[in-house]
Amino acid sequence: MTNERGAAQLASANAIRAYQREWLEDTRQRVKRGEPFAICNGDEFEEVFNIMDIPVIVINYWNSIIATKRMTEYYGEVLTKSGYPVNYFAMGLASTIDNDPETAPWGGLPKPALIIGGTKSDTEMKVLEIWAREYDCPFFPLDFGLDAVPELPKYPPPPRWWEMMADHWDKLIDTRRLDLRVEEEKALINFIEVTTGKKLSMAKLEQGLELLNEQEMLWGKARDLIAETIPCPVSLRDQLAVYQAQWHRGTVRGRDFIKAYYEEVKERVENGVAACPNEKLRLLWMAGTPPSWARWAEDKYGAVCVASLFSSIPIDSYYRAVINGDVMRALASRHMVLFLETPDWRLKDAKIHQCNGVVETATPSVPSFNKKLFEEAGMPLCQIPRDQDDEEVRAILSSFIETRLLS
Amino acid sequence: MRGGERLKSETAFEEMQKHYQQRDLAAREWKGKGGKVVGYFCDAVPEEIILAAGFFPIRLSGDPNGDTEVARQNVIPRFTAREGFVHSMLNMLLTGQYDFLDYLVIPHTRDSIHRLYQLMAMLKESNPALTLPELFFLDSVHTTFFSGGLYNRDRMLELKERLEEWSGKEIASEALSRAIAVTNENKALLKRVAALRAADPPRISGVEALQIIGSSMFMLKEEHNRLLREYLDGADKFPVRNGTRLFVSGSPLDSLQLFEIIESCEATVVADDNCWGNRYSDVPIDTSLAPFEAIADRYHNRSPCSRMYPMSRRVEYCLQSVLEARAQGVIFNVFRNDAAEVWEIPDKTKALEDKGIPSICFRNQPYLISEPEPLKASVEKLIETIQGNR
Repeated sequence: MTNERGAAQLASANAIRAYQREWLEDTRQRVKRGEPFAICNGDEFEEVFNIMDIPVIVINYWNSIIATKRMTEYYGEVLTKSGYPVNYFAMGLASTIDNDPETAPWGGLPKPALIIGGTKSDTEMKVLEIWAREYDCPFFPLDFGLDAVPELPKYPPPPRWWEMMADHWDKLIDTRRLDLRVEEEKALINFIEVTTGKKLSMAKLEQGLELLNEQEMLWGKARDLIAETIPCPVSLRDQLAVYQAQWHRGTVRGRDFIKAYYEEVKERVENGVAACPNEKLRLLWMAGTPPSWARWAEDKYGAVCVASLFSSIPIDSYYRAVINGDVMRALASRHMVLFLETPDWRLKDAKIHQCNGVVETATPSVPSFNKKLFEEAGMPLCQIPRDQDDEEVRAILSSFIETRLLS
Repeated sequence: MRGGERLKSETAFEEMQKHYQQRDLAAREWKGKGGKVVGYFCDAVPEEIILAAGFFPIRLSGDPNGDTEVARQNVIPRFTAREGFVHSMLNMLLTGQYDFLDYLVIPHTRDSIHRLYQLMAMLKESNPALTLPELFFLDSVHTTFFSGGLYNRDRMLELKERLEEWSGKEIASEALSRAIAVTNENKALLKRVAALRAADPPRISGVEALQIIGSSMFMLKEEHNRLLREYLDGADKFPVRNGTRLFVSGSPLDSLQLFEIIESCEATVVADDNCWGNRYSDVPIDTSLAPFEAIADRYHNRSPCSRMYPMSRRVEYCLQSVLEARAQGVIFNVFRNDAAEVWEIPDKTKALEDKGIPSICFRNQPYLISEPEPLKASVEKLIETIQGNR
């Protein structure tokens, strides 16, 4: 499939897109045959399910499918009718409450053997508990999963923390919390073994972590190529589509998806293929979905969003070296801290991607921590009130590009 | 307080009321005498250990009528949970209204509270000129399992050690036992207050009860106990209250406005499940255990906060509290962006319905109620429903 304005969509990205549908259908068939299936909070434990060969759907992924199918309004009404607040995290719960396979994306989810998730936010634990009740399946809560509170012995985080996360994560995580989390995860694995009849061995866990690390390393190499190549070889849409491979980390398939992605990006760089041949300006878009105004900005100014909030997460956040031979601890550390949301990290991304400016959505009355740091570092930052391709947003972006980036 | 002759209990109430209104009064007096003050958020921080260390513990609260501009200039985007309440407290901290605090303990409770630690640490780092108390993050788990209890106990031990460091002296078991005795007495006396409110007919209003309970968190406990004893001595002379018996459940409520609106409708808030209300005092510390362990145990197993797992405990606690108080109806009050509370409402409503108890829910409430009339109309409608059901 060719993008009329630039390079074709990545074959590797399309392969991942296609596999997700196959995967769900396959999962449905497996569940019909009596195999267990799990629902898991994003980034909290899913690689263990993958390694145990238990199909797992990640909640934020499932919610994004619902959003892509434009069903958030419908499911919002389902939540309202049930007395619950409308909340994006609860879209999957709403699809279960609705219990209509004809309406649900991909025919809905099969009944899970269990739901697991961390107590990381006021909302999430409640939603998961209610969701498990709706399915009449167990909910296993885990403490500290990607908690927004300091996991660090010291706050604020050290500068350039992302350079420590892979090999020195033990310096970034509260040891006491990690001790408990490891114990809770061991208890959870026991529970899964009893509940599903599946087994986990240390050898398999170790192999899974190696595959995970290999996958994230390849992702980092692809990120480096995208960052250093002008014009950008891969559209932001494809970069983000590839992200679905994250749900298969810890498996050969997940690793191979990203290996293919890296090789395709490399080939494009070698052949001088551009995602947007008209590229004149490079932007970092501070969000996790392509901006609705991307095409307008490309056409009018040659301003291309080459990086997003997700660009560096694989290599800066997921990779975990095993320290002192303790695989469980390395993995649990990943489940506790993925990244630390600091402005200097985002600034680093803007710089390595050779961006001319950064765009974020921000409420005008609330000052941005990013803005001060970015502007002081000579990286112009534009704040738009919402991600919408309308006259007001275009006017703000035009003014920013014309007065800050082109003048 | 109503009635003719000025009773001793009336004077005691007025004193507690004064401290509810001037929440920094006692702490500033203490500070003026050379003492040190430890502030804390929520009902998850053990006052007993702070007292045993020789400090003045004061729970931080906000001011619905106060400004929040400075807080809003400093918050992280998306830092919006219960913004009115939390921004108010942050604003007071950043503008010097809490300048008498030497130390501040921030517990790992709701998102909006524990994130204050991260925010304040960053603010201190980026602006050394900013005068803020020394911070301590009291970590805890949000589950109530045995292993979590052990974890919480160890974190509480670290708080004890930090308090010892701050005071320069060891906290002896005897000191903890004395502090437990004082706070247990306070809880027992507050339970008697709760019983007066839940009596049939009630002898005190919800507005009065909130002030009595709240003032306990702003005063030295011995002094509060003395006032409570004097207050309760005259309890048999308190006039009875007529009207509908209502229960309030929902977001932590550190001001009187909602109760005043409700009780202006010929109703009494006979009980609540709020951490600024009855929940503060309903679980004493077990004196048969070693004092530190007993404190750790009590705070791990205290009546559930909405941030805790499982939700069923919260629902059961609400229902039992309603039944024990013989409330005829329930009002749920949920602050804007109070994600912990709002998910419980359907379960609680259902549990009440099963017992034939009607309820109404005020969702997305601002911290400062600027338009009381719609709320009042809803309360009156609820009362009509209750009276119609009789």
